Amino acid sequence: MKKTLIATTAALLATGAMADVNIGNPMGMTGPIPDLVAPMAEAVDLAAKNINDQGGMFADGQTLNVIRADSACDPAAAIDAVTKLINVNGVSAIVGPVCSGAAIAQAESVSIPAGVLTVSVSASSPAITTMEDGTDLVFRTTASDAYQGVALAELAMANGFTDIAVSYANDDYNAAISEVFVQAYEGMGGTITANEAHEPNKASYRSEVATLGSTSENLALFSYYGSGGITLMRNALETGAFTNFIGADGMLSDELIEQIGAENLSTATFTTAASDSSTPSYAAWKAIADGAGVPASDPFVPNSYDAMFMMALAIESAGSDGREGLSEHLRAISSAPGEVIYPGQWAEAKAILAAGGDINYEGGAGNQDFDENGDVAGNFSKSVIVDGAWAAELIQ
Amino acid sequence: MEAYVGYFLYFLSLLTVGGIYAIFALGLNVNWGFAGLFNVGIVGFAAVGAYTYALLTTASSTYHMGGFGLPLPLGMFAGMMASAVIAGLIGLICIRLRADYLAIATIGIAEIIKLILKNESAVTNGPRGINKIPRAWEHFSEERFYSSWPMSWFGTPERWDAFFDHLPHWYWQPLFAGTVLLVMYVIYRMLERARTSPWGRMMTAIRENESAARAAGKNVTRRRIEAFVIGAAIMGLAGAFFAQHLRLIEPTNTFDPAKVTFLVWVMLIVGGSGNNRGAMLGAFLIWTIWSASELVITGSIDLISNIFSSIDTSLLVSRAGFLRMMLIGILMQVILQRYPGGILPEVRPASPKAYQKIAGTTGETK
Repeated sequence: MKKTLIATTAALLATGAMADVNIGNPMGMTGPIPDLVAPMAEAVDLAAKNINDQGGMFADGQTLNVIRADSACDPAAAIDAVTKLINVNGVSAIVGPVCSGAAIAQAESVSIPAGVLTVSVSASSPAITTMEDGTDLVFRTTASDAYQGVALAELAMANGFTDIAVSYANDDYNAAISEVFVQAYEGMGGTITANEAHEPNKASYRSEVATLGSTSENLALFSYYGSGGITLMRNALETGAFTNFIGADGMLSDELIEQIGAENLSTATFTTAASDSSTPSYAAWKAIADGAGVPASDPFVPNSYDAMFMMALAIESAGSDGREGLSEHLRAISSAPGEVIYPGQWAEAKAILAAGGDINYEGGAGNQDFDENGDVAGNFSKSVIVDGAWAAELIQ
Repeated sequence: MEAYVGYFLYFLSLLTVGGIYAIFALGLNVNWGFAGLFNVGIVGFAAVGAYTYALLTTASSTYHMGGFGLPLPLGMFAGMMASAVIAGLIGLICIRLRADYLAIATIGIAEIIKLILKNESAVTNGPRGINKIPRAWEHFSEERFYSSWPMSWFGTPERWDAFFDHLPHWYWQPLFAGTVLLVMYVIYRMLERARTSPWGRMMTAIRENESAARAAGKNVTRRRIEAFVIGAAIMGLAGAFFAQHLRLIEPTNTFDPAKVTFLVWVMLIVGGSGNNRGAMLGAFLIWTIWSASELVITGSIDLISNIFSSIDTSLLVSRAGFLRMMLIGILMQVILQRYPGGILPEVRPASPKAYQKIAGTTGETK
C-alpha cells in the first residue's frame, strides 16, 4: 500500500513538474467510436511532433505536451476528464473532445466557467453555434451539420427530386442533420412526403420502409452504415420501395458496397465533409500525413491536425502559456491578413510571429477562417459509384 | 498558488460528483438495503428527475418544450415528485414480483422511460438533449436571473454584473459542492431515523422473511410500495443534481445504464448494503477511484517513459482508457472479495452490536 502511494505521488509530481506548454486533449478513446478516433489522436500527436521537431514553443524552445484524456463520447466522462485537465494538469487550452454532446457538456459545465479556450476537432452539432453568451471560448475546425444539410438539399434539387421521403436514425448526429435538410429542402420548394425516425440496430426495417415507400420514389437516408443503415437500405432495395437514394456521410463506406453490391447502388449519392484536394494546403498536409503513416483523408483527421496546430500558433502568438486572451490570437493566426502558413510550416510561422508579423493558417481540412460564432465553413463532396467503387466529386 | 487552487477545485468536483452518487446510493439503499427490492431501473428514475428539472428551470428555448424558467428549488422538488409518482404507478403494478422478476420489470421500465424521452422530440429535443441547464449558485451570474425578481430587488443588473466580475470564476463551486453535501446529509439523517424506527425494523422483517411479517399482520405490499417510492424520490432528486452538474442531458449516453445503474449498485455493494454510511462511503470511494485512476495511469505512463527512455509508450497511451476500465474492474473484485458484506456491513438496530456502539466507556447506554 505504502509503495503504491509513493509511486502514485511520484507519478503525479512527474506530470505536474514540467515547465513546458501543456495542451489538454480529451478524445473518445473508449466509448462508441474508438476506431474512428484513433487516427484523429495520431494526427494531434503528429502536429505536436512537427512543432517540437521545428524548434518547439517560444524563443527558448519549450516542449509542447499533449495531455490526452478519455472523454468516451459521454457528457459525464468528458466533464470529469476536462475537470482534471484544467485543474490538476493545469493545461493552457483544450483541443477536443470528439462528440457533440460531450463537447457541449464539457464547455458549459467546465471550460467556459473556467475561462479556458476549446477547439473541438469534430463536434458538428448546430447547437454549438448558438451555445455561448458572448464568451467567445468555443471554436471548431469542422463545419456545422447545418452546412452539410443545406448542401444535401441543394444536391437533391439539382438531381431533380421534387418530392422526397426522409428516414433518419434516432441519434444526435443524424437527427440534427435531417432537421436541417428538411428545412432547407422545403425552403427551396421541395415537398417532404414523410419524415420518420428509425431506431438504430434493428434486425429489420421492412415496416418503416413500407410506410415511407408509398409516399415517394426518393429517399433521403440519414443513418450510420454500421448501426442499421445498411439493413434499411437493403430492405428498401428488396421491396423496390424507392428508386433514388441520397444521404450524408454516416452511410458512406466500402462496407456498403461489399454488403449490398455496387450494381444496386447506381442510384445512390452520399455527401461527406471533404478537403478540397486541389489546394496547396491539402497537398502540404498529405505529404506530412503520408510520411508519418497517418491516413490523410479519413474523417476529421486533417481537422484534428489543424486544431492542434492552430492552438499552438495561438499560444505562440500570445507569447505565454496563460489562458487569457487566447481566442483573439486564435482568430488572428487563422485568418487574413498575413503570410499564408500551410500544415507543418512551424519554423516559418514562428519566425514571422517573432518578427511581429501576421500569419494566416490554411489547413488540410479547409481555410479554417472562423466566423463570429467560432464556426468554419466546410467543403463537401458527393460520392457516386463509378466502376464498383465510390468516386468523390467536390460540390462547389 | 494557482496550482493549489486547481487541486482544490478538483477535490471539490470529486466531492460534488461523489455526493450526487451518494444520494443515488442512499435511494437504492432504501430499495435494496431496507426492503430488499431488486431495483435495476435507477437510470429511469434519474432520467425522470433530470428531465423534469431541466424542462422546468431552463430559459425558454426553441429546441424543446417550454423552458419554463422556474426557480431552481421548485424544479428539484418537481423532479423528486415526478420520480415518486412514476414509481408509485410502477409499484402498484409490479411490486408483487419477487427478486429477479422485479429486476427484469425495472430494467424494462427504465428502457421505456429512456425511449419515451428519446422519441418525444417535441418535448425533450429527442436524442440531441437539453443544454444550458442552470446550476445552483452559478445561475446567479446568468443575466436572466440577476435582472429579474428577486435579485433585481437588491441591485441593478449592472451592479450585479460588476459584483460577479469581481468574484473568482469558480465562486460557485464550493457553494454547489456544499449544497450537494448538505442535501446528502439531510437525507442521511432522515433515513437513519427511518431505519431505527419501528418502520425500519418492519422493513428488515419484510426483507428477511416476508411470510412471517405477513403472518404478524403487517401490510407487506403497502410497505414495499412505500420503500420503492421513497427510494425513487431520492433518486429523482439526485437526477436533478446530476442534470445541474452536467448542464447537458441527452437520453443515450448520459443515461447509459452501465454508467448510472451499474455504478450505483457497485457503490452500494462495496460500501455495505443496508448501511446508510456504507452507501455514502462506497459512493465517494468508487467515484474517486473511477476519476483519479486516469491521473494515476497517465502519470505512471509518463514515469515509465521518463525512466525507460528506450521503450515506446505510444501504444500504452492509446490503450490507457481501456487499461483503466480493466484496473477498475480488478480493484472492485478485490474489494468485494475482501469485504463480502461491504466495507461497512449492516448493523441491525436491535442487534447487540448496535447497543455496543452507543455504550459509553463504563458500559452505560445513552
